[in-house]
Amino acid sequence: MGPERFTSRWDTLAIVVCVVLAIAARAIPAPVQDAVAAAVRRSVAVPLLALQHQTELLRSSRARLHRLVAERDSSLVLAIRTDALAEENDRLRELLALRNRLGGRAVAAEVLRQSGPTAGLTLVLTAGSSSGVRPLTPMVAPGGLLGVVRSVDPSYSVAVLWTHPDFRVAAMTLDGSVGLVSPAPATGPETMLLQLTGVPYRDLVPPGTRLYTAGFGDVYPRGIPIGEVLGVAREQEGVSRTYLVRAAVHPGAVAHVILLVAPELDVSAAFGNDGGT
Amino acid sequence: MTVRSERVRVALVLGLLAVGHFALRPWLGNPRVAPDFLFLAVLVYAVRTRPGRAAVAGFLIGLLSDSLNPVAFGSAMLAYAVVGYLAAWGKAVFFADNPGVAGGLFFAGVVIRDVLVLLWGGHAAGTTAFWQLVLWTPLQALTTAVTGVLVLLLFHESLHVRVRE
Repeated sequence: MGPERFTSRWDTLAIVVCVVLAIAARAIPAPVQDAVAAAVRRSVAVPLLALQHQTELLRSSRARLHRLVAERDSSLVLAIRTDALAEENDRLRELLALRNRLGGRAVAAEVLRQSGPTAGLTLVLTAGSSSGVRPLTPMVAPGGLLGVVRSVDPSYSVAVLWTHPDFRVAAMTLDGSVGLVSPAPATGPETMLLQLTGVPYRDLVPPGTRLYTAGFGDVYPRGIPIGEVLGVAREQEGVSRTYLVRAAVHPGAVAHVILLVAPELDVSAAFGNDGGT
Repeated sequence: MTVRSERVRVALVLGLLAVGHFALRPWLGNPRVAPDFLFLAVLVYAVRTRPGRAAVAGFLIGLLSDSLNPVAFGSAMLAYAVVGYLAAWGKAVFFADNPGVAGGLFFAGVVIRDVLVLLWGGHAAGTTAFWQLVLWTPLQALTTAVTGVLVLLLFHESLHVRVRE
């Protein structure tokens, strides 16, 4: 079969049209890109994602059963102690004239991993707008922060992991140091680290210090573990230091996540207007 | 075998690969190494069709990939379409019709796809891309190529592949 038979005008036209469409898709504004992607996910991808969802459930069910039983036993012991603590807390709140805390709601979702060289930057999740998930919903795993929801469909959503170059979160230590956490350049094939930037030079953050979300802005509630400081990555003499941080949760280690659909972003409502602080 | 029944059999093989991508792949360990069945379906289709059709098929699967992993929308469409076109054209011009060389074609296809996705997506700089291209891409290319050869051997009658010269 000769090459001339395989390079007709139609073939050339087809590849040109495909390349032009791909370039156009890359160039159009992000909201339009999201709309096109959502249209595909809500139509042709639905049965495929449903199939992958069932597979993930089947694959993880046995291991999860053993873990759940162990966790349930531990939780029972904790619950017995919690009752006494809750009672004590209510009494103290009453003494301080505080109202009850705002209620938060969490939605569990399975992780559907995709293929491709950029698959480690996002996740498809099996919970969508019908479960109350919205864009910018924080995504956590039992160890801590994992990322944030980017786009939402009725039954599925796409979340950005902390490995994504655009990921940013305001962080704090328990002693009050604050900074901005973002992905650090990789140092090895399996090494995925975060970096804490913008820490004033006078604030030394020792290795082993745990970082938590600071609660600035409207996305992440305060107090979610982010990771642990490993050491100084670089410093701008007399101005600031950048620290390397080992994330609390490795994206490759999670099979399911928790979405904080109603995080306690503003706790001021939990206090009485007249009661002050 | 009639043309119609031949098309049905090929469609069934491609459908099996698509199902395998979502139903079998999660069982195969590290997702960065596990074979990419969906991309393999594009390549298997490409080596037995015209470049234009392979480009369109690649573009559509790339659109699906971009929708499920919207990091750099459009990058997978471009990469899949170009690789589909090149696979169909290259197979006709340079490659013999046997599973061994098809395996090499599958390996090269995954590597070229990843390079194009990272380049066109703007993620080619930095050490993360370096490790992706040096380690994970060749490993996935290898598993995809081996899987592709197994598929060709298993379905050589349906796909009209010569097992022996």
